[in-house]
Amino acid sequence: MQDNKQAALALGTKPVGQLLWQYALPAIVAMTASSLYNIIDRAMIGQVVGPEAIAGLGITFPFMNLSAAFGAAVGVGASTCISVKLGQKDYQTAEHLLGNTVTLNLVIGFLFMLVSLTFLDPILRFFGASDVTLPYAREFMIVILLGNMITHMYFGMNAVLRAVGKPKHAMYSVLFTVGMNIVLVVTFVWWFRWGIRGAALATITSQSMAMCWQLWLFSDKKELLHLKRGIYRLKKTLVRNIIAIGISPFLMNVTSCIIVIFMNNQFVRYGGDMAVGAYSIANSVVMVFFMFVMGVCQGMQPIVGYNYGAEKYDRMLRCLYMAIGCATAILLVGWGLSMLFPRQIARIFTTDATLLDLSARGIKLDMLVFFVVGSQATITNFFQSIGKVKVSIFLSLSRQLILLLPMAYVFPLMWGLDGVWYAMPISDFGSFAMTIPMLLWYMKKFKKR
Amino acid sequence: MGSGGHDIGRMLALDFQAKYYDRELLNLAAKESGLSEKIFEQNDEKKGFFRGLLNIGAPHMSSSGYKPGMTQETLFQFQSDAIRKAAKEGSCVFVGRCADYILRDFSNTVNIFITASLEYRIEQIMNKQHLDVEAAQKFIEQGEGKRADYYNYYTGKKWGSAESYDLCIDSSKLGLVETEKLIAQFIRKKFDL
Repeated sequence: MQDNKQAALALGTKPVGQLLWQYALPAIVAMTASSLYNIIDRAMIGQVVGPEAIAGLGITFPFMNLSAAFGAAVGVGASTCISVKLGQKDYQTAEHLLGNTVTLNLVIGFLFMLVSLTFLDPILRFFGASDVTLPYAREFMIVILLGNMITHMYFGMNAVLRAVGKPKHAMYSVLFTVGMNIVLVVTFVWWFRWGIRGAALATITSQSMAMCWQLWLFSDKKELLHLKRGIYRLKKTLVRNIIAIGISPFLMNVTSCIIVIFMNNQFVRYGGDMAVGAYSIANSVVMVFFMFVMGVCQGMQPIVGYNYGAEKYDRMLRCLYMAIGCATAILLVGWGLSMLFPRQIARIFTTDATLLDLSARGIKLDMLVFFVVGSQATITNFFQSIGKVKVSIFLSLSRQLILLLPMAYVFPLMWGLDGVWYAMPISDFGSFAMTIPMLLWYMKKFKKR
Repeated sequence: MGSGGHDIGRMLALDFQAKYYDRELLNLAAKESGLSEKIFEQNDEKKGFFRGLLNIGAPHMSSSGYKPGMTQETLFQFQSDAIRKAAKEGSCVFVGRCADYILRDFSNTVNIFITASLEYRIEQIMNKQHLDVEAAQKFIEQGEGKRADYYNYYTGKKWGSAESYDLCIDSSKLGLVETEKLIAQFIRKKFDL
């Protein structure tokens, strides 16, 4: 706990650039690693199994996010509570929290699996599956759902690892799963030709391996918090707190899901399965760069938050500007690559001519104004870090719900399939346009102080 | 709220020559942490569950979201460190802020819960805050609701539940001065002073 305090005080004194580097780097590594995993999965499926399979994969994406949302709710809720208890040296309660996390993950994972498997087909149809993509989506999801409890446990244990002060271990398990998944996906899909099921198996297997390691870490009796008898019984107060904290990230994730589901449906409607495939490819590309920005934002949060609290506004602003600069720089690179080489990028995922065309176009359109998203996301995060929750929720939602959904609904009525694509850059730009005045207005308030 | 706990606390502090920490605690926590007193004030005895949101668009990642950040929990940690430090340095009276839980390992503590009948409290609040009956009642309910959420979340116990305290007393029965005298007697007997 002493070094926590030292770390906190350093936030107010060390040079901002150094701090940003220190905090952002691990976050960036973790985030981009996972989006890389996504790309490899899709590339393998697209190349080896075919364009319909990639479309099927795109359909399942929000489903996986939904499952992750439940896992995240427990993970974030439990790890926050555990941090508090550890800070108070209340080890007994912390251990019970650990046990409850395990139990909750298993219970929720199991229920989610049961409900989803029972209603799998109707759910997939709702997500936009067509007769062609349904078999692929189903094959993929069955494996993922059977392994759902493992996925939840893996994410949950990772969050707890951070809470007990082992963030490096958490990062190792993330890197391990990514690496292992890449190896397995190549083996199962390309070598063994197991199709889309192979990709799902690769994911679940690598998570299971990581989970075994995590459980082994927590079984060490010398550890402060370790698995033992008697901690698994669910306690009402603990569960209530976990859920109360977890509900916010849960809702945010669910909102994300809803948006992708809607978009997938629109793509199917106006462009058929190929369009969904193209969207799924374009999205993976966008994600890589976006994850980078997310990493920068995560790094920025503690620095901005602390300096705001300490009224060191010059440091706070300097950090904000650096973060915006970093994020925009990366996105400019991404933008450049997407504008100049969209076909080459799409080629990674597929050889099918139609899909290539659609994807190349999609990548260009999706990334059209993406460099502004750097500032938009960073500023939104900034407001959140200083506790201006309402503003940050409004800005987050503005990009996705307030602008994107209505545009994605209305534009295709006028411009067909292109309309759905246009909705993305236009809503990106629109929310950027909303974010800048907010920041300026806020800066004015600051200057007054 | 409105039961005069703060006033009784101050009188006890004088009685035992102890340091009195009500809102002063916020100042102490601020010094400990390098943060401004204002931010502690804004989060004083409040636990907002919708304040800690994570990002949209990072679904897989939100649970690997790594948060050494500035959250209400961090503020609580600083505050509780300040409480422990102050308690080690000399006699203190702490008002609220989960001090009973934070100092649970200290053997020389007395935890007191001061309440009063609802009518009495409404009257006190009406006078202090210049509100009418309904507004005063709402003020009390909301304030206590927030305080209870805060306490229950951080301690895992139930605010106001008799098991957490050595003594629970209704200040309206004997009035503030006599209640304070009674509590002081209790403390002297407990510590054999």
